[in-house]
Amino acid sequence: MKALSNFIEKILGAFVGLLMAVMVLDVTWQVLTRFVLKEPSSYTEELARFLLVWIGLLGAAYAYRKKAHLGLDILSQKLEGIAKRRLDIFISLVCMLFACVIMIYGGSKLMLLTLELDQMSAALQVKVGYLYSVIPLSGLLIVLFSLDRIVNGDPEPEELEFYE
Amino acid sequence: MDWSVVVLLVTFVVLLILNVPISIGIGVATFAAMLFTIDFGPAAVTVAQRMASGVNSFALLAIPFFVLSGLLMGRGGIAHRLIEFAKVLIGMLPGGLAFVNIISCTLFGAISGSAVAATSAIGGFMIPTMEKEGYDKNFNTAVTVASSTTGLLIPPSNILIVYSLASGGVSIAALFIAGYLPGILVALSLMAVCAVYAKMHGYPVGRVPSIKEVGKKTLDAIPSLFLIVLVIGGIVGGFFTATEASVIAVLYSLILSVFIYKEVKIPELPEIFIKSVETTAIVMLLIATSTAMSWMLSYENIPQNISAALMGLSDNPFIILLTINLILLLVGIFMDMTPAVLIFTPIFLPVAMELGMSPLHFGIMMVLNLCIGLCTPPVGAVLFVGCGIAKTSIAKLIKPLMPMYAAMIVVLMLVAYVPAISEFLPTFFGLYEAK
Amino acid sequence: GDTEVRTLKMAHTLDQTHPVHQGIVFMADRLEEVSGGKMTIDIYPGGQLGSERELMELLQIGSLAMTKVSSSPMEGFVPAMKVFNVPYVFRDNEHFWRVLNSEEGKELLLAGDSVNLRGLGYFDAGSRSFYNVDTPVYKPEDLTGQKIRVQQSQTALQMVKSLGGSPTPISWGELYTALSQGVVDGAENNPPSFYTSKHYEVCKYYTLNEHTSVPDIVLISSYIWNNLDQQEQVWLQQAMDDAVVYQRKLWAEKTQEALDAVQEAGVTVIRPDKKPFMDKVQAMHESYKGTEIYDLIQTFKAM
Ligand code: NA
Ligand code: NA
Repeated sequence: MKALSNFIEKILGAFVGLLMAVMVLDVTWQVLTRFVLKEPSSYTEELARFLLVWIGLLGAAYAYRKKAHLGLDILSQKLEGIAKRRLDIFISLVCMLFACVIMIYGGSKLMLLTLELDQMSAALQVKVGYLYSVIPLSGLLIVLFSLDRIVNGDPEPEELEFYE
Repeated sequence: MDWSVVVLLVTFVVLLILNVPISIGIGVATFAAMLFTIDFGPAAVTVAQRMASGVNSFALLAIPFFVLSGLLMGRGGIAHRLIEFAKVLIGMLPGGLAFVNIISCTLFGAISGSAVAATSAIGGFMIPTMEKEGYDKNFNTAVTVASSTTGLLIPPSNILIVYSLASGGVSIAALFIAGYLPGILVALSLMAVCAVYAKMHGYPVGRVPSIKEVGKKTLDAIPSLFLIVLVIGGIVGGFFTATEASVIAVLYSLILSVFIYKEVKIPELPEIFIKSVETTAIVMLLIATSTAMSWMLSYENIPQNISAALMGLSDNPFIILLTINLILLLVGIFMDMTPAVLIFTPIFLPVAMELGMSPLHFGIMMVLNLCIGLCTPPVGAVLFVGCGIAKTSIAKLIKPLMPMYAAMIVVLMLVAYVPAISEFLPTFFGLYEAK
Repeated sequence: GDTEVRTLKMAHTLDQTHPVHQGIVFMADRLEEVSGGKMTIDIYPGGQLGSERELMELLQIGSLAMTKVSSSPMEGFVPAMKVFNVPYVFRDNEHFWRVLNSEEGKELLLAGDSVNLRGLGYFDAGSRSFYNVDTPVYKPEDLTGQKIRVQQSQTALQMVKSLGGSPTPISWGELYTALSQGVVDGAENNPPSFYTSKHYEVCKYYTLNEHTSVPDIVLISSYIWNNLDQQEQVWLQQAMDDAVVYQRKLWAEKTQEALDAVQEAGVTVIRPDKKPFMDKVQAMHESYKGTEIYDLIQTFKAM
């Protein structure tokens, strides 16, 4: 479980980093085509939004793996040992429940519905269902990372990075 | 009271106390409350759809890009040079760096029109820099968060455009001009708080620099300062939109830090990109589930019901205006700005106009009020970004934010009860006729 | 039971001063009247429940009963709706309404039933025309090099391109700032929207070339429609049909009001010869050959 989670974390990190780079290029292209080439591109705006949805939701799973999501840690700072571990397991279960019901069940139903009813995006002319496929995908990753946390314990939360 | 509201609040508060991630707590509570009126299946699909829709916005691109450029500026030596430059200019004042922070956030918020962008861009390097100089991290974050909201009052501002639409016809040009004074007042009031705070905590006061030093630091900072010129000039000159400016900031800081200053090596770039996604995603998930919650509140007509109940309490104009402000502050605590403006303008504007307020005056007051809500927990986009960037907890930010809320509320009261603060400039420039 | 009131939730993206919103309010009142209080419509204006595309999705999901959409965002759901974004299919307003009220027009309204989006009726949204910051447009050549904001729709893009402008997709919310800062040089919309959006504060030339007539369409989720009993369906359709008549009159008034108001504010309203514009788009019409859009264009033109 741990090895699998670590492996997926690596791939996921590389993938979202790549999407980010593509998004930078895309918006740069948008400015270039409009301002330099005087021939505004018709699809860059939509592509950027779709990339943002993917980055936001896949990144959410990545940030979950890194325990970077914000919470009110007043209570959990006071707990130690077995009590803290029990609370951590409860939190993982809530996250897993959310990922299962909303992201996997709701998200895949949304994806299938839009695929079946054949909704097309305005500019890129791709099926909107592909855009939504990121919701159940991210949900699956969160479930996996939650299971790993329940079995192997929580990682340390991310710390502030200093710029030298 | 509506059962769905009770379920929403109880679920959310319990999950919050138990340290469940706030974004997920909002999502779970929203779904639970939704089940009162929508069947299980459609409710789950609707929450998923609202989440994706919340993030599916071009304007939000400013967040990942300014986070990324903030990281590059921090590691690439750009931030360092800019702050050295600012220090020789106003470092000798008590709380000087905090002033630098406030001015940067105000300027940046002003041109980008996005408080979230200002927090991520300026906070990304100001928070750690100030900490290195001996300031408390949570204080730095609080300063950044509070001062970033001024950019929503100082034009250009998307939220004022939203208000113009919702109010059915206040001139956008007049609203834009009207926002200057209140925005600057908020910035000044925050500076006053910082000066007192810095004195009380004995924060470092820089010495007066020599002319030679000023010259050297200025020269050092010129390429970095050009970033600001490029971004502001590009927006004002119509080469790109405020959102697109964020990608220009990424490109320029990339070139400067990798090829000119050579403080970032190319193999380090993937890690920097991944880091920026992580911070972005924390905020995006919060925006996603908050969007679902705002939707549920509107769908159940909850804001209207609550305000109708509260408005029946008095017929004294002073008290009514105070009540409106209290309700809006409360709304701002739980709701994001755009839905709040869309829902409450049609409810409160007629009441305010009966009290003799102009729609222009009311709009400025409302936006300023909701700006405060952007930096209050549990739902506050700017607060989330600030915490995400500083990697600090919301609980720790509350204490340093308290005096800043107080300062902002003082300005809010001034704006609410002194119409001239909003109406003088637009009248002076002939964009508006006061009655 | 018998005393229960059927409430339909209806959401749209327009503000409350918009004539289409007022048409919807009229419809809600009419429905209460004809049903003797047994049916009502709850209206959620101003986009508080989502954008037009998202609202249509909510109808498909079944968590929202009704919405009002422009036919452009409907293209992604019902491809036949593209026909309304093709420029100069209609000769004039009279022709336009003759088509909408014909059998073919009604068929088109029901084309979305297979994707759970059932049309109830067409509201008038007038004709769209160009407005520019500082360039008066008298003929298509004047659009050369002008960056014109368009809606996210392939047809809208081609339309501006075929008339000689550079189409630039920008969201409606960002448009005021984009116009005032010069990111785009102009946009296109109907007179009431040009007025209520305040774009006339920035754009000093309004050319009434009337390239497209794009109706607003009131949709109901097919799930919800099929759940209504026959009597309820009759009441709802009755309320819709009455609202259409009321709203058309209102639209004409608001269009005149808007044109008067923008001229008062210093905008030059240009009424160009439409022939050169019509000639420019013939190639675009031909490009649809072999598609259902082409057949629709021909059918409509012949009416
Ligand atoms: Na601004
Ligand atoms: Na808040």
